[in-house]
Amino acid sequence: MTQEMLVNAIVYGMGNSGILFLVAIGISIGFGLMRIVNMEQMVYYTFGAYFTYTMVSSTGSFLLALVVGTLVAAFLGFLVEIQLLRRVYGKELMFTMVVTFSVFLIGIGIIQFVWGLASKPVSAPIHAMIPILGASVPLYRLVIFAISILVYILINLFLNKTIFGKAIRAGIENPYQVQGLGINIRRIFTITFVVASGLAGFGGVLNAPLVGVAPYMGFDMLLFAFTTVILGGLGSIKGTFVSALILGQVMSVGSAIYSPLSSLGPFVVMLGVILFRPAGLFGIKGRAFGFEE
Amino acid sequence: MNFLKRIPGPFLLLVLVIVARYLFPNKMTFIVEIMMFSIYIMGNDILYGYMGMVSFGQPFYLGVGAYTAALYLAYLGHDPLVAMLLAIVSGAVVALILGPIYIRLRGDYFALINAATCAIGLFLVEKPLLKITRGDDGLWYRTRMQPEWFFDLRQPAQFFWFAVIILAIVLFLYRWLDRSALGAAFRGIKVNEGKMKFLGYNTFALRWIGYGFACILAALSGSLYAINFGFVNPSITEPGRAAEALVATLLGGAGTVYGAFFGTVAFLGIKDLVSTFFTRWEFAVGVLTMLVCFFLSKGVWGFLNELIEKKKRKASPV
Repeated sequence: MTQEMLVNAIVYGMGNSGILFLVAIGISIGFGLMRIVNMEQMVYYTFGAYFTYTMVSSTGSFLLALVVGTLVAAFLGFLVEIQLLRRVYGKELMFTMVVTFSVFLIGIGIIQFVWGLASKPVSAPIHAMIPILGASVPLYRLVIFAISILVYILINLFLNKTIFGKAIRAGIENPYQVQGLGINIRRIFTITFVVASGLAGFGGVLNAPLVGVAPYMGFDMLLFAFTTVILGGLGSIKGTFVSALILGQVMSVGSAIYSPLSSLGPFVVMLGVILFRPAGLFGIKGRAFGFEE
Repeated sequence: MNFLKRIPGPFLLLVLVIVARYLFPNKMTFIVEIMMFSIYIMGNDILYGYMGMVSFGQPFYLGVGAYTAALYLAYLGHDPLVAMLLAIVSGAVVALILGPIYIRLRGDYFALINAATCAIGLFLVEKPLLKITRGDDGLWYRTRMQPEWFFDLRQPAQFFWFAVIILAIVLFLYRWLDRSALGAAFRGIKVNEGKMKFLGYNTFALRWIGYGFACILAALSGSLYAINFGFVNPSITEPGRAAEALVATLLGGAGTVYGAFFGTVAFLGIKDLVSTFFTRWEFAVGVLTMLVCFFLSKGVWGFLNELIEKKKRKASPV
């Protein structure tokens, strides 16, 4: 493999990592705080991508699409949270998984009904190629990576520096205690969920130019997102970030070496890690939901 | 109604199936599908209904059985029965290999790692093993199948009787499992695993056994599909279809002997009806799951049972 190919593969991997982090963070936080597995998180991702297609093809402005896609996704998340998820908090995990998965299926059905089955192309907002180490790489992928790092820093600042973020962290430790202190935990749930679904939609908008917008795009991403979350450890933001970095590179550098690795690699890495650390890289044994002992 | 109680339940079910087949002769393929699918659902019911483990990757095990049978029939031999036995063995082997890794994981991790397995399986069949499995075109081997000395499985009418026999065996074994100490231990795991451990049960081994049963039943069902259709393509292991198994299990009433069968009847029936109005199944299956989750949490069989209980209470006022 030449140096040019390697640089290209790494930059592509950085783009993958950025998207993976944005879509997986909602699942991770949702699990840590609300103790539910958000199978329907990818509905917001898919809707974000479809609104990007609609906005870009009607107005031609990607920035507008970014705003609209994110807001629509956040609004959908809001609706689902107050109408549905409030009914399932505290129920057994299996129940929440099945219910949220059915929301996901309904979302796919609606998308097929509104936009049809065919895959839609979206043109990238930044076409520039920049030279790095003798290879010319697409700037857009680097921008995605930079944005995701920014989001990671902002989330960490928010959780550690603001009083609201501290309440969320306390809620992750013990939601009942937080409620006992007179903090409205339901409102914290709603706001966290809206932010998470907004981020998933944001990821969908950014990813729309890179992959074709299709009804089943969420399904492929769901598996990768869950692989990211499991590898990092459910409920850990740092773990999600690190595993997104790893898996993005596994997908792109791996596929440069042996092409099936692009979709097989993440699962293989996850299986390998799960074998030795059943709670994931940064998951805490005993606290993570699946491990009682 | 008293004499009905003396007859074992599985017999009644089988009589029901056979009567339905002659009442609606043009619905025979549908009835055969119900029998094949209900074996698959029974496997999932052991995982979900008895032990409380959700798996989003059941189509993988279905696909293992179907592809084992298909590969045998397409390349090696001509005997459908051997293909079926090989499929059962393949299910057991998969359970032996993957079991120790997966069983350690609880709840959510188990569900998601199964979904990932299913994605790997679909990908393997579609891309790296393309030369053997012929990818999306599927394997066709109907002409290579040879009649048994007692059945010609290529003929739908005879396959029906074959499926009835297989279903009978599975149902009786399943009822035996339900009443045995093993079934009780499975339920114990669902209710309180810590306590089971405290009582001295090796819950790891119990989970492994249950998982093995689920794999074997799914593989058996997959091989029946393969033999019945005479061809197999990757759509049988699509991860998207994982929801079907869960919905059918929930719909019937999880953790009961006959729940799986009635769930299958309800699920396939509704799917059959809906597909005449909608072309896409996702929306319908999603709404259906939601309704079952919130309003029919005990499933069709549980609902029927409750009705019977109520009648009994009315009949004998305390």
